Amino acid sequence: MSVPGMTETTEAVARARAGDAEAWGELYRDFAPAIFRFCRRALPTREDAEDATMEIFMKLRDKLSQYDETRSFSAWLYRVAANHCWDILRRRKIRQDKETEDVEDVPLEHPDPSQLDKLIEQKTSEEVRQALHKLGARARMALVLRYYSDMSYDEIADELGVRRAFVGVVLLRARHELRQALEGKSALAAGGTS
Amino acid sequence: MSEAANPVSPEGPGGTMDHLDEMTCLLYAERQLDRARAQAVSAHTQDCAACRTLLRALDRESRLLTRAMLEEDEPLPSRIAEFQERARKSFGWIWGVVLGLAATGVYALYTGFVEPAEQRLEQAGFGGTSLLSLLVFQGAFWKGWQSVITLLEVLAMLTVAGFGLVVFRKRLRRGSALALVLAGLCAALVLPSPAGATEFRKAPTVEVRQDETIKGDIYLSGERVRIEGTVEGDVFVAGKDVDIDGHVTGDVIAGCQSMRIRGRVDGNLRAAGNNGIISGSVGRSVTWFGDSVTVDSTGKVGETVSMFGGNLAVDGQVGRDILFFGHEVGVNGTILGGIWERGDSLIIASTGQVGGRIQYKGDHEASVSPGAKLTSPVEFVQRERKSEYTTGHYYIWRIIWTAAFVLLGLVLYLLLPKFASDAVAAGERVGAPIGLGVLIFFGVPIAAILACVTVVGLPLGLLTFGLWFLAINCAELVVGTVVGNWIFGRTADTWGLIGRMAAGFVIVRIVYTPIAPLHVIGALVALGIWIWGIGAISLALYKRLQPKSPSSSIAGPFPPVPLPQSTTVGGI
Repeated sequence: MSVPGMTETTEAVARARAGDAEAWGELYRDFAPAIFRFCRRALPTREDAEDATMEIFMKLRDKLSQYDETRSFSAWLYRVAANHCWDILRRRKIRQDKETEDVEDVPLEHPDPSQLDKLIEQKTSEEVRQALHKLGARARMALVLRYYSDMSYDEIADELGVRRAFVGVVLLRARHELRQALEGKSALAAGGTS
Repeated sequence: MSEAANPVSPEGPGGTMDHLDEMTCLLYAERQLDRARAQAVSAHTQDCAACRTLLRALDRESRLLTRAMLEEDEPLPSRIAEFQERARKSFGWIWGVVLGLAATGVYALYTGFVEPAEQRLEQAGFGGTSLLSLLVFQGAFWKGWQSVITLLEVLAMLTVAGFGLVVFRKRLRRGSALALVLAGLCAALVLPSPAGATEFRKAPTVEVRQDETIKGDIYLSGERVRIEGTVEGDVFVAGKDVDIDGHVTGDVIAGCQSMRIRGRVDGNLRAAGNNGIISGSVGRSVTWFGDSVTVDSTGKVGETVSMFGGNLAVDGQVGRDILFFGHEVGVNGTILGGIWERGDSLIIASTGQVGGRIQYKGDHEASVSPGAKLTSPVEFVQRERKSEYTTGHYYIWRIIWTAAFVLLGLVLYLLLPKFASDAVAAGERVGAPIGLGVLIFFGVPIAAILACVTVVGLPLGLLTFGLWFLAINCAELVVGTVVGNWIFGRTADTWGLIGRMAAGFVIVRIVYTPIAPLHVIGALVALGIWIWGIGAISLALYKRLQPKSPSSSIAGPFPPVPLPQSTTVGGI
């Protein structure tokens, strides 16, 4: 898993583990913006994201000794952040929103490709971000893990507590929810053929 | 989903071309299909423009999502940008100032308080060991009042333990750390447990009969307690009237209204009570908290008599010194050692004999009969009635204690950040914590005392009382943090909370210090702070103890729904 915009700083990590406060500061400066953005996308409000970012870095101080240096630090950091955010959402019970619906209701047939293409063409990044915040927590978290953190299906399954084979369904349903939120119509979300 | 299982025919019922479902396309676009399926999809899209368009649209959708999420649409909040710097600064400030002050305080406490107290205790016949060794090795809260842990010792021990946990926190999970603390507390409670067999007796009238011999310690509780037989161990007794006519080979630890010893106690007598009369003998020392003690003309104490409160009359013999804080000492008998008194008066009758120095600080000069036999004249110092609030010493101690409390707060907040945050949040509601605080502040000690009186509930009562006492000491920290939050704004991070605690606590102390000398108002303000803080802590505790709703309904994994058949390369 590689994370755009984040640099691997193995040396700084090693020094931070040895108790070097400056190295810790370096890590914070390098990674805090990305982690804040991650939290901003995953959590409902800006205040939540600010609090979560600081809590994640506080947690990181204790957890740094558990980090396996042979693996990517940024990937590991995102796992910590994802765990923390998911924990917050779970505590607030907002995962109940659409998660208990019958998954069989998810339409998986062929949508109108040209209509989907048009929708993507018309919508800006800003509109997508706004629409993201209208999604259920699990759907939003799935999209963030996949398209922000670039996590694998296995990692997403692990984070969300679903079977690996079900991750695709979660992601597809999240996309449908997103299209609904973007369009305000059900045609695209429901699929439909020309 | 049933529709999805069937290939879609975009050309209508009579169409010739079936299409891939969206799930298959997504899995293909995300490279999640196995090789065979991926090849089939690839082959299909060579010929099918609609599926090719869908694949492209899904891919564009993925890129749009990634772009939208990665875009830096808002600047990094200053709170986060400054967080690292603030944490570093607050860390340095707290550790620099507080540790410096605490170290000074510990040194000052040791040289100004602990050392003289040790000397005084040694004079009082508590042996030549240090307070620490008394605490650790003799260990028992029961065995002697010298082992009673003072507030300082509690703070010091908690701080040292806290430091240890913070230092080794990387090696200890929080659960382990708490387990360690609890295990330590349990060990401390276990320490006083007697090694031999222990017997409990509880009834309106309890007695150890004349022909009876108890081997081991015994706990006695009743309105009237009488020991006529022999106890080969310690006696722990709670009752209204206690008579010891028999023989106790160990110590007697008592809480009673009146006690009369006509028999023989080989060890120490440690008691809190109204009246005590010793007509028999106590082999070692007597320590008494209460109104009056009389060593009768036939009475004999082998070592020292230490008394706190009321009057002491010595008509018989005391083997060593008298250590006295209270109203009046009257000597008609013989004291082989000296007298050290802080009281109102000292009267030595003509039959009185004192073998050592007499140091008396009081309101009135000692009255010494001409016939009294003294080895040296009374060293009298007139007591000055001067308010402690007018001395610089008082304010220096205030600073030292403030630093010590901030240090305690720091340790507690690091160990229990969530609980601290909950307690502060509860404290901000003001009304509810004060209401509950009144109940807890007055109710818990009463309940603890009642539990202690039942003897069997003694450990529970003492533990409850200890927790109440700890909560009282933490109350000011919670109130300080609430004040800090009001001034600097709320925060969720632990170091921010600690900074607010330190600043708020200092502010509360600064505001309270000039109020403290105003007797009633000072006391009421202190009471208000305690009640508010203890109420907040209780609310946080109550919240913690609330049963949580089962998480499985919201946190559990999805039901095991199989992927629809159409997720394969359906229709090809």
